[in-house]
Amino acid sequence: MILNIDNLSFSYDKTPLLENLSLSADKGEIICLLGPNGSGKTTLLDCVLGFHRTFSGLVSVCGKDVLTLSRPELAKLVSYVPQVHAPTFPYTVREVVLMGRTAQSGLLGAPGKEDYEICDYAIARTGIENFSERPYTELSGGERKLVLLARALAQKAPLIVLDEPTSSLDFKNELLFLEMLSDLVRSDGISVLMATHALQHPLYFESEGIPSKAVMLCKGKPFRTGAPGELITPETLREVYGVRAEVTEIKAGGKTVKTVAVIGSDI
Amino acid sequence: MQKNKSAGTLSLPVKALLLIIPFLAVFISLFFGRYHIPLSEVALSLIKPESVPLASRVAVLHLRLPRAIASAFVGASLAVSGAAFQSVFRNPLVNSGILGVSNGAGFGACVAIVFFGGGVFTYFFSFVFAVAAVLLSYFAGRISRVTTSITMILGGVIVGAFFSALVSIMKYVADPYSQLPSITFWFMGSFASINYSHLYALIPMGLGMLLIFLSRWKLNVLSMGEREAASLGLDVKKAQILIIGGATLCTAAAVCISGTIGWVGLVIPHIGRMLTGNSNQKLIPVSISLGAAFMVIMDLLSRTLTGSEIPIGILCALIGTPFFVYLLKKTKGGFKA
Repeated sequence: MILNIDNLSFSYDKTPLLENLSLSADKGEIICLLGPNGSGKTTLLDCVLGFHRTFSGLVSVCGKDVLTLSRPELAKLVSYVPQVHAPTFPYTVREVVLMGRTAQSGLLGAPGKEDYEICDYAIARTGIENFSERPYTELSGGERKLVLLARALAQKAPLIVLDEPTSSLDFKNELLFLEMLSDLVRSDGISVLMATHALQHPLYFESEGIPSKAVMLCKGKPFRTGAPGELITPETLREVYGVRAEVTEIKAGGKTVKTVAVIGSDI
Repeated sequence: MQKNKSAGTLSLPVKALLLIIPFLAVFISLFFGRYHIPLSEVALSLIKPESVPLASRVAVLHLRLPRAIASAFVGASLAVSGAAFQSVFRNPLVNSGILGVSNGAGFGACVAIVFFGGGVFTYFFSFVFAVAAVLLSYFAGRISRVTTSITMILGGVIVGAFFSALVSIMKYVADPYSQLPSITFWFMGSFASINYSHLYALIPMGLGMLLIFLSRWKLNVLSMGEREAASLGLDVKKAQILIIGGATLCTAAAVCISGTIGWVGLVIPHIGRMLTGNSNQKLIPVSISLGAAFMVIMDLLSRTLTGSEIPIGILCALIGTPFFVYLLKKTKGGFKA
């Protein structure tokens, strides 16, 4: 087991946001966190990333309690692709990807030969060689997300945490990013924990035959978890999102894909 | 390794050049000055000092040399701490005085001039108050639970304003015929009174520069923002303390022997960005080298251009600004965000 969350509860003030949440991810498994705005998706990610440290319960990665790990130790186990990234200085793509090697050198260190090789590997793996010498500030949103994914890969962590990775991408780039992620999970055995607003994402991973789980968070209600196709139903969508929707199955190109059709917001 | 060029370190010829430039500037500055010394005597006083007339020897070895060394260190210190602060605070407009160093040092100098008659006390008090100003800014910025670099900049601005008000009080109570001019001249910056006894200030400057130089790659990571830097595996607080501490040693020691010299800590790093890109792995050594050479040349000009010495703070801004505009036009700006 790569990620194990046991009986996690967290609250910002008096009212609890996450309550008695338990969840686990095996090697090569994708967990998609779903739920309305403010339901605690990012909060849960922050507990795994060690940014929130006042939760009760246990969060462990590769059998190690995240609260007992130092920053470099945790970064070797969990990498992170943030939702928004505010660029400051126009570093080249390669310089940004190299930052994934931070945990390997001490406070005063700089990356060595092996770090450069892993950086090159991550660049090749994500297919961004073409613009690896360009300032990453000049890239499009889709390209920049791939750079951040490459940086996460360079960390060589068994678990990647992504916060709404495709929220700023267009239709095609979103698909390319999902394909890249599927490939990493399938061939490299990486585990993924991602928060997303797109119900299609867990359904996509499931139709691709990747071991995947969906988790639905809803403030004030117990969380639900299960196989994406079983969890995403008209009933749960009504309860969690307050939306009337149908889930249909489409067969095309030798694939069976489930998709959500929205009818209306009036219940 | 060719593939890693942009993410790696500087190439060997560039490294050699960067190493040579400051020494060359110091060497050149020995040959010029208001007291005319034949070129041969300058050269001889370096190799065989006993064969040169005493006046020439003293001018070269005891006036021009320590002055050039001090200005090289001050220039390097201001430039490198400006570059470091720009990354720590994720802001290209930040300079070496952002945490209130200059105003703190200025107040210290005022206290020394008004109450203790200046002299050595000026150096001591300006150093102490410069460090105190940074500590105040740092903790003011950390009062808010959400510690971002913005709150620390805000802390610096507030503390700077506070010390600047204190400076005004000191000016108000200072004797207008003797003390006030000293204060005014101190603020304009000068290396005129430098001799070997001032070179103790090189120790904190060297130490500070070493700290920043060693953590130069981590500056890249830090400039990604505290949250991302932490997720990448950096102990953000330790790194910040190390780098801000180093930059403080640099600027406090620099300001206490030279007075306030603005501009260098902002613009030299930007010239470096235009020349070699934004990675601090290259920018930090480039800033050290360019800052040192630039300040030595500026000091040389300040003591030779006119009959009486031009305060170096004024000269830096007067000559540096058009040069910066020229470079900006020529390179289209290395900084695009």
